[in-house]
Amino acid sequence: MIRLASAFALVAIGVVLTLAVRTDGATATLYSFVGIPALAVGVLLYVVARWRAGAFRSNGTGRP
Amino acid sequence: MRARPGRHWKGDRLTPLGPLFTPPGSQGLPWLNILLILLAVPAAIILLWALLRGRVPQPLRLVGVLLSLGAYGFGALLVVEDSKHVTFCGSCHVMTPILESLKDNESLASIHFLSGRVPHDEACYICHSGYGIWGGVSAKRAGVMHMLHAINGNYDLPLKLNGRFDINSCLNCHAQAERFRAVEAHRPPDVQEALMSGEMSCAGLCHPAAHPESALGGGTPAS
Repeated sequence: MIRLASAFALVAIGVVLTLAVRTDGATATLYSFVGIPALAVGVLLYVVARWRAGAFRSNGTGRP
Repeated sequence: MRARPGRHWKGDRLTPLGPLFTPPGSQGLPWLNILLILLAVPAAIILLWALLRGRVPQPLRLVGVLLSLGAYGFGALLVVEDSKHVTFCGSCHVMTPILESLKDNESLASIHFLSGRVPHDEACYICHSGYGIWGGVSAKRAGVMHMLHAINGNYDLPLKLNGRFDINSCLNCHAQAERFRAVEAHRPPDVQEALMSGEMSCAGLCHPAAHPESALGGGTPAS
């Protein structure tokens, strides 16, 4: 799942790098309708992967 | 370096080369683009590592996420800022003839453009964004809709203004001008009321059309 999340985020980063090199209607459209959804999916998959790995569970060592 | 004649903006008779002819602030480094690249490249390296190895060292996990989100934050700023530029608007094929028609000195837009009454690099945005902060917000919302229409091809030619033109964009400059106030035709209360309510428009009736019909139809302006 981490690999899938990275793949989505890499697509998003590729889009934003294209935007940085050339900002026009086409790259702005890619940024808005491909890049942002790809990054959102990537971050969501990463959070789910970390949650499944137990990253957000309390292990009982927290201070009272 | 000699200016090369041609149809492009740089180096032709409309934009001769040299610092005297460039707007203030346009000669520095494009810091927004540079910062975006400085965030995006390390993020790409970390993500590539994660893709190949299937895991990332603990300290780099949060860094990778934050760099990616930061790059997108700067990307949003870049789009908001650069979408004000005339070249940005003209990069979509339906707008290119309108941009070209700004050189013909016949339409209301080109008269303003060629006389320097609107900044050359933000001419579209200055007139079409409306007045005040909400004018800018509605312009950005309209821009997103333009992108959607361009993607699905859901638009008709000739292009028409969606809604009525915000006359405050004109009055922002003209209302205080002595020459504008001296015109008899601007003084009757019923004319003023009709203009303010949007029943009547400045362009097309008393003044030339905002853009040539041929350009709005997707073609080149009549020569």
